[in-house]
Amino acid sequence: MIVCVAVVGHQNNPLYIQSFTEADDALKLHHIVHCSLDVVDERVNNPKKSGPTLNETFLGLLYPTENYKVYGYLTNTKVKFIIVATDLDVRDADVRNVDIALLRCNNASCLSPFFRRFHAAYVDAVSNPFHVPGKKITSTTFAERVSTIVKSFGLSSAG
Amino acid sequence: MNRKEITKPFQVEIESKQKQKIEVKMGREVSESCVDSLLTEMVSTYCNRFYANKPELAARRIEAIGYQVGHQLSERYTMERPRFSDHLEAIKFICKDFWSELFKKQIDNLKTNHRGTFVLQDNGFRWLSRISLDPSLENAESQDPSASTESKAAQATSMHLYFPCGIIRGALSNLGIPCAVSADISNLPACSFVVRIKA
Repeated sequence: MIVCVAVVGHQNNPLYIQSFTEADDALKLHHIVHCSLDVVDERVNNPKKSGPTLNETFLGLLYPTENYKVYGYLTNTKVKFIIVATDLDVRDADVRNVDIALLRCNNASCLSPFFRRFHAAYVDAVSNPFHVPGKKITSTTFAERVSTIVKSFGLSSAG
Repeated sequence: MNRKEITKPFQVEIESKQKQKIEVKMGREVSESCVDSLLTEMVSTYCNRFYANKPELAARRIEAIGYQVGHQLSERYTMERPRFSDHLEAIKFICKDFWSELFKKQIDNLKTNHRGTFVLQDNGFRWLSRISLDPSLENAESQDPSASTESKAAQATSMHLYFPCGIIRGALSNLGIPCAVSADISNLPACSFVVRIKA
Protein backbone atom coordinates (compact mmCIF):
# COMPACT_ATOMS: atom_id res chain seq x y z
CA MET A 1 0.00 0.00 0.00
CA ILE A 2 1.29 3.44 -0.93
CA VAL A 3 1.27 5.90 1.93
CA CYS A 4 2.97 8.89 0.37
CA VAL A 5 3.88 10.25 -3.08
CA ALA A 6 6.10 13.20 -3.85
CA VAL A 7 7.27 15.11 -6.91
CA VAL A 8 10.60 16.87 -6.47
CA GLY A 9 12.06 19.34 -8.96
CA HIS A 10 15.57 19.33 -10.41
CA GLN A 11 16.88 21.63 -7.70
CA ASN A 12 15.39 19.38 -5.04
CA ASN A 13 12.51 21.78 -4.60
CA PRO A 14 9.24 20.12 -3.60
CA LEU A 15 6.62 20.37 -6.33
CA TYR A 16 3.96 18.13 -4.89
CA ILE A 17 3.75 15.98 -1.78
CA GLN A 18 0.74 14.07 -0.58
CA SER A 19 0.30 11.42 2.05
CA PHE A 20 -2.46 8.86 2.07
CA THR A 21 -2.73 7.88 5.71
CA GLU A 22 -5.34 8.61 8.32
CA ALA A 23 -2.79 8.99 11.08
CA ASP A 24 -1.05 12.31 11.64
CA ASP A 25 2.35 11.24 10.40
CA ALA A 26 2.80 13.60 7.45
CA LEU A 27 5.97 15.06 8.96
CA LYS A 28 7.56 11.65 9.34
CA LEU A 29 6.75 10.75 5.72
CA HIS A 30 8.12 14.06 4.49
CA HIS A 31 11.28 13.30 6.38
CA ILE A 32 11.57 9.91 4.67
CA VAL A 33 11.08 11.53 1.27
CA HIS A 34 13.71 14.12 2.13
CA CYS A 35 16.23 11.46 3.08
CA SER A 36 15.61 9.54 -0.13
CA LEU A 37 16.77 12.50 -2.23
CA ASP A 38 20.35 11.82 -1.19
CA VAL A 39 19.98 8.21 -2.28
CA VAL A 40 18.71 9.35 -5.69
CA ASP A 41 21.74 11.65 -6.07
CA GLU A 42 24.01 8.80 -5.09
CA ARG A 43 22.43 6.46 -7.64
CA VAL A 44 22.71 8.99 -10.44
CA ASN A 45 26.28 10.04 -9.73
CA ASN A 46 27.66 6.50 -9.25
CA PRO A 47 25.82 4.50 -11.89
CA LYS A 48 28.22 1.55 -11.83
CA LYS A 49 25.98 -0.51 -9.59
CA SER A 50 23.00 -0.31 -11.94
CA GLY A 51 24.75 -2.26 -14.70
CA PRO A 52 22.31 -3.23 -17.46
CA THR A 53 19.63 -0.83 -16.24
CA LEU A 54 21.92 2.13 -16.86
CA ASN A 55 20.06 5.42 -17.07
CA GLU A 56 16.71 3.72 -16.63
CA THR A 57 14.10 6.19 -15.41
CA PHE A 58 12.80 3.73 -12.81
CA LEU A 59 15.36 3.66 -10.02
CA GLY A 60 13.80 0.79 -8.10
CA LEU A 61 13.96 0.39 -4.36
CA LEU A 62 15.93 3.28 -2.90
CA TYR A 63 16.08 2.06 0.66
CA PRO A 64 13.95 0.16 3.12
CA THR A 65 13.16 1.52 6.56
CA GLU A 66 11.60 -0.42 9.40
CA ASN A 67 8.04 0.11 8.27
CA TYR A 68 8.33 1.53 4.79
CA LYS A 69 9.98 0.99 1.45
CA VAL A 70 10.96 3.93 -0.69
CA TYR A 71 10.92 3.71 -4.49
CA GLY A 72 12.20 6.33 -6.89
CA TYR A 73 11.84 7.41 -10.51
CA LEU A 74 13.91 10.07 -12.23
CA THR A 75 12.72 11.64 -15.47
CA ASN A 76 14.87 12.97 -18.27
CA THR A 77 14.19 16.48 -17.05
CA LYS A 78 15.64 15.62 -13.61
CA VAL A 79 12.28 15.58 -11.89
CA LYS A 80 12.10 12.96 -9.17
CA PHE A 81 9.07 10.95 -8.20
CA ILE A 82 9.30 9.34 -4.78
CA ILE A 83 6.81 6.94 -3.34
CA VAL A 84 6.74 5.55 0.17
CA ALA A 85 4.99 2.20 0.52
CA THR A 86 4.34 -0.11 3.41
CA ASP A 87 5.70 -3.57 2.86
CA LEU A 88 2.50 -5.21 3.98
CA ASP A 89 2.30 -7.09 0.68
CA VAL A 90 5.46 -8.99 1.36
CA ARG A 91 4.32 -9.99 4.81
CA ASP A 92 1.04 -11.13 3.33
CA ALA A 93 3.00 -13.25 0.92
CA ASP A 94 4.98 -14.71 3.78
CA VAL A 95 1.79 -15.96 5.29
CA ARG A 96 0.60 -17.40 2.01
CA ASN A 97 3.83 -19.25 1.34
CA VAL A 98 4.49 -17.70 -2.06
CA ASP A 99 8.03 -17.46 -3.25
CA ILE A 100 9.16 -14.10 -1.96
CA ALA A 101 11.79 -13.52 -4.61
CA LEU A 102 9.18 -13.89 -7.33
CA LEU A 103 6.80 -11.57 -5.60
CA ARG A 104 9.44 -8.96 -4.97
CA CYS A 105 10.35 -8.77 -8.63
CA ASN A 106 6.67 -8.58 -9.50
CA ASN A 107 6.30 -5.79 -7.00
CA ALA A 108 8.90 -3.82 -8.90
CA SER A 109 7.34 -4.62 -12.26
CA CYS A 110 3.97 -3.57 -10.85
CA LEU A 111 5.50 -0.28 -9.83
CA SER A 112 6.93 0.49 -13.23
CA PRO A 113 3.52 1.01 -14.88
CA PHE A 114 2.43 2.86 -11.77
CA PHE A 115 5.22 5.34 -12.25
CA ARG A 116 4.42 5.60 -15.95
CA ARG A 117 0.83 6.54 -15.21
CA PHE A 118 2.05 8.93 -12.54
CA HIS A 119 4.47 10.49 -15.03
CA ALA A 120 1.67 10.91 -17.59
CA ALA A 121 -0.42 12.70 -14.97
CA TYR A 122 2.53 14.93 -14.13
CA VAL A 123 3.15 15.78 -17.81
CA ASP A 124 -0.48 16.74 -18.27
CA ALA A 125 -0.33 18.90 -15.16
CA VAL A 126 2.77 20.84 -16.22
CA SER A 127 1.45 21.26 -19.75
CA ASN A 128 -1.23 23.50 -18.32
CA PRO A 129 -0.36 26.97 -19.61
CA PHE A 130 -1.25 28.44 -16.22
CA HIS A 131 1.28 26.29 -14.43
CA VAL A 132 4.53 28.11 -13.71
CA PRO A 133 7.51 25.78 -14.22
CA GLY A 134 9.41 25.17 -10.99
CA LYS A 135 6.45 26.15 -8.81
CA LYS A 136 4.29 23.80 -6.76
CA ILE A 137 1.58 21.91 -8.61
CA THR A 138 -1.72 23.22 -7.31
CA SER A 139 -4.01 21.58 -9.87
CA THR A 140 -6.90 19.74 -8.24
CA THR A 141 -7.27 17.56 -11.33
CA PHE A 142 -3.72 16.34 -10.81
CA ALA A 143 -4.42 15.64 -7.14
CA GLU A 144 -7.52 13.64 -8.07
CA ARG A 145 -5.70 11.69 -10.75
CA VAL A 146 -2.85 10.87 -8.38
CA SER A 147 -5.19 9.62 -5.69
CA THR A 148 -7.03 7.48 -8.26
CA ILE A 149 -3.75 5.97 -9.43
CA VAL A 150 -2.63 5.32 -5.87
CA LYS A 151 -5.94 3.71 -4.96
CA SER A 152 -6.01 1.51 -8.06
CA PHE A 153 -2.46 0.39 -7.30
CA GLY A 154 -3.59 -0.65 -3.83
CA LEU A 155 -6.34 -2.75 -5.41
CA SER A 156 -4.24 -4.49 -8.04
CA SER A 157 -1.49 -5.47 -5.63
CA ALA A 158 -3.82 -6.53 -2.82
CA GLY A 159 -5.56 -9.19 -4.93
CA MET B 1 -4.11 -21.86 -5.89
CA ASN B 2 -0.43 -21.43 -6.37
CA ARG B 3 -0.79 -21.20 -10.12
CA LYS B 4 -3.35 -18.45 -9.84
CA GLU B 5 -0.95 -16.42 -7.77
CA ILE B 6 1.70 -16.65 -10.44
CA THR B 7 -0.43 -15.86 -13.46
CA LYS B 8 -2.10 -12.82 -11.95
CA PRO B 9 0.77 -10.35 -12.33
CA PHE B 10 1.16 -11.30 -15.97
CA GLN B 11 -2.45 -10.56 -16.59
CA VAL B 12 -1.99 -7.16 -15.03
CA GLU B 13 0.94 -6.54 -17.31
CA ILE B 14 -1.02 -7.47 -20.43
CA GLU B 15 -3.88 -5.26 -19.36
CA SER B 16 -1.61 -2.31 -18.91
CA LYS B 17 -0.05 -2.92 -22.32
CA GLN B 18 -3.48 -2.91 -23.92
CA LYS B 19 -4.24 0.35 -22.18
CA GLN B 20 -1.02 1.79 -23.51
CA LYS B 21 -1.93 0.77 -27.03
CA ILE B 22 -5.26 2.53 -26.75
CA GLU B 23 -3.52 5.62 -25.43
CA VAL B 24 -1.14 5.56 -28.39
CA LYS B 25 -4.02 5.21 -30.81
CA MET B 26 -5.83 8.14 -29.25
CA GLY B 27 -2.80 10.41 -29.54
CA ARG B 28 -4.13 13.86 -30.28
CA GLU B 29 -3.69 15.26 -33.74
CA VAL B 30 -3.37 18.86 -34.78
CA SER B 31 -4.29 20.33 -38.13
CA GLU B 32 -1.17 21.47 -39.94
CA SER B 33 -2.77 24.45 -41.61
CA CYS B 34 -4.15 25.61 -38.25
CA VAL B 35 -0.66 25.61 -36.78
CA ASP B 36 0.64 27.47 -39.84
CA SER B 37 -2.05 30.11 -39.54
CA LEU B 38 -1.56 30.42 -35.80
CA LEU B 39 2.16 30.96 -36.22
CA THR B 40 1.68 33.56 -38.96
CA GLU B 41 -0.96 35.35 -36.95
CA MET B 42 1.13 35.32 -33.78
CA VAL B 43 4.15 36.74 -35.57
CA SER B 44 2.17 39.47 -37.29
CA THR B 45 0.31 40.40 -34.11
CA TYR B 46 3.52 40.78 -32.12
CA CYS B 47 5.41 42.54 -34.92
CA ASN B 48 2.72 44.88 -36.21
CA ARG B 49 0.38 45.44 -33.29
CA PHE B 50 2.04 44.96 -29.89
CA TYR B 51 5.61 45.98 -30.62
CA ALA B 52 5.37 47.65 -34.04
CA ASN B 53 8.39 49.86 -33.44
CA LYS B 54 10.51 47.46 -31.43
CA PRO B 55 11.27 44.34 -33.48
CA GLU B 56 13.84 43.12 -30.91
CA LEU B 57 11.21 43.13 -28.20
CA ALA B 58 8.70 41.33 -30.42
CA ALA B 59 11.34 38.73 -31.25
CA ARG B 60 12.05 38.16 -27.59
CA ARG B 61 8.37 37.71 -26.76
CA ILE B 62 7.87 35.20 -29.58
CA GLU B 63 10.99 33.34 -28.52
CA ALA B 64 9.67 33.20 -24.95
CA ILE B 65 6.42 31.60 -26.13
CA GLY B 66 8.43 29.02 -28.04
CA TYR B 67 10.54 28.40 -24.95
CA GLN B 68 7.48 27.51 -22.90
CA VAL B 69 6.14 25.23 -25.63
CA GLY B 70 9.48 23.44 -25.98
CA HIS B 71 9.78 23.14 -22.22
CA GLN B 72 6.44 21.36 -21.98
CA LEU B 73 6.86 19.22 -25.09
CA SER B 74 10.25 17.88 -24.03
CA GLU B 75 8.72 16.60 -20.81
CA ARG B 76 6.07 14.73 -22.78
CA TYR B 77 8.26 13.30 -25.53
CA THR B 78 11.04 12.04 -23.25
CA MET B 79 8.56 10.12 -21.13
CA GLU B 80 9.29 6.59 -22.37
CA ARG B 81 13.05 6.77 -22.80
CA PRO B 82 16.09 6.30 -20.56
CA ARG B 83 17.97 9.36 -19.38
CA PHE B 84 20.54 10.97 -21.68
CA SER B 85 24.15 10.53 -20.66
CA ASP B 86 25.65 13.45 -22.58
CA HIS B 87 24.82 16.53 -24.66
CA LEU B 88 25.19 14.79 -28.02
CA GLU B 89 22.57 12.24 -27.10
CA ALA B 90 20.11 14.96 -26.16
CA ILE B 91 20.79 16.84 -29.40
CA LYS B 92 20.29 13.61 -31.34
CA PHE B 93 16.96 13.17 -29.60
CA ILE B 94 15.98 16.68 -30.73
CA CYS B 95 17.05 15.86 -34.31
CA LYS B 96 15.27 12.54 -34.53
CA ASP B 97 12.34 11.91 -32.22
CA PHE B 98 11.47 15.45 -31.19
CA TRP B 99 11.58 16.74 -34.76
CA SER B 100 9.52 13.78 -36.02
CA GLU B 101 6.87 14.49 -33.42
CA LEU B 102 6.68 18.13 -34.46
CA PHE B 103 7.24 18.01 -38.21
CA LYS B 104 6.90 14.31 -39.19
CA LYS B 105 10.47 14.37 -40.48
CA GLN B 106 13.95 14.30 -39.00
CA ILE B 107 16.64 16.95 -39.17
CA ASP B 108 18.53 16.37 -42.43
CA ASN B 109 22.03 17.23 -41.33
CA LEU B 110 23.75 17.66 -37.98
CA LYS B 111 27.18 19.23 -37.69
CA THR B 112 29.19 19.88 -34.58
CA ASN B 113 32.60 21.28 -33.69
CA HIS B 114 32.69 19.04 -30.58
CA ARG B 115 33.07 22.18 -28.48
CA GLY B 116 29.47 22.88 -27.73
CA THR B 117 28.22 24.23 -31.06
CA PHE B 118 25.75 22.22 -33.11
CA VAL B 119 24.24 23.10 -36.46
CA LEU B 120 20.91 21.44 -37.20
CA GLN B 121 19.98 21.73 -40.85
CA ASP B 122 16.48 21.09 -42.18
CA ASN B 123 16.30 21.10 -45.97
CA GLY B 124 12.56 21.59 -46.09
CA PHE B 125 11.46 23.33 -42.94
CA ARG B 126 7.71 22.97 -42.75
CA TRP B 127 6.98 26.34 -41.23
CA LEU B 128 8.87 28.12 -44.01
CA SER B 129 7.56 26.06 -46.93
CA ARG B 130 4.52 28.33 -47.39
CA ILE B 131 6.44 31.56 -47.13
CA SER B 132 7.01 33.59 -50.27
CA LEU B 133 8.05 37.14 -50.81
CA ASP B 134 5.25 39.67 -50.87
CA PRO B 135 4.46 40.47 -54.58
CA SER B 136 4.19 44.18 -53.84
CA LEU B 137 7.64 44.03 -52.34
CA GLU B 138 8.98 42.20 -55.36
CA ASN B 139 7.48 44.84 -57.69
CA ALA B 140 9.07 47.53 -55.64
CA GLU B 141 12.32 45.69 -55.91
CA SER B 142 12.19 45.62 -59.72
CA GLN B 143 11.53 49.33 -59.85
CA ASP B 144 13.96 50.27 -57.19
CA PRO B 145 16.68 47.62 -56.95
CA SER B 146 17.79 48.50 -53.46
CA ALA B 147 18.81 45.98 -50.86
CA SER B 148 16.40 47.36 -48.28
CA THR B 149 13.26 45.54 -49.53
CA GLU B 150 15.12 42.28 -49.68
CA SER B 151 16.36 42.71 -46.17
CA LYS B 152 12.83 43.59 -45.10
CA ALA B 153 11.56 40.30 -46.50
CA ALA B 154 14.41 38.44 -44.86
CA GLN B 155 13.58 40.14 -41.58
CA ALA B 156 9.93 39.13 -41.87
CA THR B 157 11.00 35.53 -42.53
CA SER B 158 13.44 35.49 -39.66
CA MET B 159 10.63 36.69 -37.35
CA HIS B 160 8.94 33.35 -38.04
CA LEU B 161 12.04 31.52 -36.88
CA TYR B 162 12.15 32.88 -33.35
CA PHE B 163 9.35 30.53 -32.36
CA PRO B 164 11.10 27.27 -33.42
CA CYS B 165 14.34 28.64 -31.93
CA GLY B 166 12.54 29.09 -28.65
CA ILE B 167 11.13 25.56 -28.86
CA ILE B 168 14.63 24.08 -29.26
CA ARG B 169 16.04 26.21 -26.45
CA GLY B 170 13.13 25.34 -24.15
CA ALA B 171 13.44 21.62 -24.83
CA LEU B 172 17.20 21.55 -24.29
CA SER B 173 17.17 23.66 -21.15
CA ASN B 174 14.48 21.43 -19.67
CA LEU B 175 16.83 18.51 -20.35
CA GLY B 176 19.49 20.33 -18.33
CA ILE B 177 21.40 21.94 -21.21
CA PRO B 178 21.39 25.74 -21.08
CA CYS B 179 22.05 27.11 -24.56
CA ALA B 180 21.47 29.87 -27.07
CA VAL B 181 19.76 29.08 -30.36
CA SER B 182 19.80 31.19 -33.51
CA ALA B 183 18.48 30.47 -36.98
CA ASP B 184 20.01 31.00 -40.35
CA ILE B 185 18.14 31.07 -43.67
CA SER B 186 20.27 30.28 -46.64
CA ASN B 187 17.75 29.50 -49.40
CA LEU B 188 14.15 29.54 -48.45
CA PRO B 189 12.65 26.21 -47.51
CA ALA B 190 16.00 25.15 -46.08
CA CYS B 191 17.11 26.58 -42.81
CA SER B 192 19.62 25.77 -40.12
CA PHE B 193 19.50 26.23 -36.38
CA VAL B 194 22.71 26.96 -34.55
CA VAL B 195 22.80 25.71 -30.96
CA ARG B 196 25.53 27.07 -28.72
CA ILE B 197 25.72 25.32 -25.40
CA LYS B 198 26.64 27.57 -22.52
CA ALA B 199 29.52 26.17 -20.54
